[in-house]
Amino acid sequence: MLQTSIIIFVLFLCAFGGFVAYDLATAKRRKEVYHVKSSLTAYLMLLPAVALAFLFILLPILYSLGYAFTDYYLLRPNDIEFVELDNFVAFFNELATKGTLYHAIKNTATFVVGVVPLQIGLALLLALFVNRKCFGSKIFKVCFFAPVVISLSITAFLWEQILAPSESGLLNSMLGVFGVPPHDWLRDPATAMPCIIVLSAWQGCGYQMLIFLSGLSNIRKDLYEAAALDGANWWGKFWLVTWVGLRSTFVYILITVFIGACRILTQPMLMTGYMDHTVTLSYYMYNKGYTERWVGYSSAVALLMTIFIGGITFIQRRIFREDK
Amino acid sequence: MDKRLMDMPNFRPNKTPVKKTVKEIVYHIVGIILSLIFVLPILYMLATSTKSEFAYASSIGTINMFLPDFANSAVAFENYKNVLLNYDIWKYALNSFVYAGIVIVLNILINGLAGYVMAKLTFPGKRMLSFLIIFLIVVPVETSIIPLYSIVKIMLGLKQQMSVLGVILPAAISIFNVFLFMQFFQNIPKEYEEAARIDGANTLGVFFKVIMPLSKPILATVAVFCFIGVWNDYLWPSMILPAANDGSWPLLPIQTALISIKSIEGITTGEIMASLVITSIPIFVIYVAAQKYIVKGFGTAGLKM
Repeated sequence: MLQTSIIIFVLFLCAFGGFVAYDLATAKRRKEVYHVKSSLTAYLMLLPAVALAFLFILLPILYSLGYAFTDYYLLRPNDIEFVELDNFVAFFNELATKGTLYHAIKNTATFVVGVVPLQIGLALLLALFVNRKCFGSKIFKVCFFAPVVISLSITAFLWEQILAPSESGLLNSMLGVFGVPPHDWLRDPATAMPCIIVLSAWQGCGYQMLIFLSGLSNIRKDLYEAAALDGANWWGKFWLVTWVGLRSTFVYILITVFIGACRILTQPMLMTGYMDHTVTLSYYMYNKGYTERWVGYSSAVALLMTIFIGGITFIQRRIFREDK
Repeated sequence: MDKRLMDMPNFRPNKTPVKKTVKEIVYHIVGIILSLIFVLPILYMLATSTKSEFAYASSIGTINMFLPDFANSAVAFENYKNVLLNYDIWKYALNSFVYAGIVIVLNILINGLAGYVMAKLTFPGKRMLSFLIIFLIVVPVETSIIPLYSIVKIMLGLKQQMSVLGVILPAAISIFNVFLFMQFFQNIPKEYEEAARIDGANTLGVFFKVIMPLSKPILATVAVFCFIGVWNDYLWPSMILPAANDGSWPLLPIQTALISIKSIEGITTGEIMASLVITSIPIFVIYVAAQKYIVKGFGTAGLKM
């Protein structure tokens, strides 16, 4: 592994050198001026970050990418063989049999489609709600942010109690007042994913609320006055001033929430375990890699997932690029 | 709704003071209900931490789950006493504080420098690095934890003292923080730097004497999220820190220690919750203290992906 790492490092340096040479060659055409001394300072200041990022982020990713084309099995790390595209063939074969993998993709898609609008919408509403200076709004803000800092294991355990299947489960006993029969929320395939969606949005939206708030604080007050003078009503002000002002914040939040949602793993893991109706793609990958120790295949799934997430992110950036 | 809207002259001039008061009351009632929904886990945690095992078991599934049990006031703080005296929680908390402190300093220095270079300096190869930053934010890092483990083990060997570096070093780099710093520094006007340059400061001097003092909001944001990250992380330290020869775990950070404390025989749910309350306090204190900086830190002309 040490030798491979050194080879990768040399390749990385070569690639970087290539880009440097390319930038230097095209500098004139791009009307860019490079100074030797300032460039050297820049490299020196970047060195610690690049060294650590190479060792602890890029190198592991490259290894994981490489493992996708091998039969790496965790229990025999010294016997790794190159298997070409076998892992990917296995992936599509499993997909065709509509097994766990099919459910994982379906559930992840359900989760993303559900949680992205819910979480962002909730965050925006909460931000608008606390974005005023009056007694209490600060306390509300701290409260809304609370689930973000509480560790997931506590919140997962709490929600298990709330959604408990017996008649004494909190939600069931509350609904029981209205004559609704008790329901096994997390075991029923129809309600399990929606429950996880609601709990994830509830848990995460405080963070996006903070980011929206900072976006709101940058909108100039006189724009609202101008809109009021033009006779805009509440909706007009929101749509023409607030929404326009929040655009870049929104794009940022959309992309980060989307990426986070695609990676969902902890909630189903802690709340239901490895079951067909809640398994997600990350969970599937985790299970293949850690529990079944089939790292090669797990890495192949990771690679496909990265390509997919990267592709969608690229499209989102294209759609929302500020071109005006 | 935005307060600024309501402060404006001519804004709904027909609104009477009574209507305004009613509106305020409705606002606060809605706010309190929403807040209760969001602090449920905290209420649950606090309530359970005061209960004996029996009181806890009988409260499950009822509204009593969220209400503390002070009927028997002798028992109420028993759990806290037991946890603090019997399970050495403070030692692990101290470990976490030390790790978090070192990580915060390293993180700000390393990523701040990189963010500054990416935002303010021109050098050949910059476009490749900015592409790499976006790429590394998108790639799910969780997938590469096994290779990361092997790399750290090869680098540091298996000694316990060295493995502390395995907790700290990977946490010292965060591409996302580089990105945050970059966004923030881009919005600092050039004039500040130029003035310092005329006074004869070099690039490092500009960074420490001009940029850093102007960047308190983003420094606070990064520091808070570093702290929360180190404080709440349990999976990675449990992989990388081996037990000492006598089987004890003197170097564990708090969350990892909690996992092993939870499985100690005879510990009650109330005691577990008491220890969770104790470990949540620093995060709350730090978050509340840094709150206004965090909003500003993300703010500053928006984040552009």
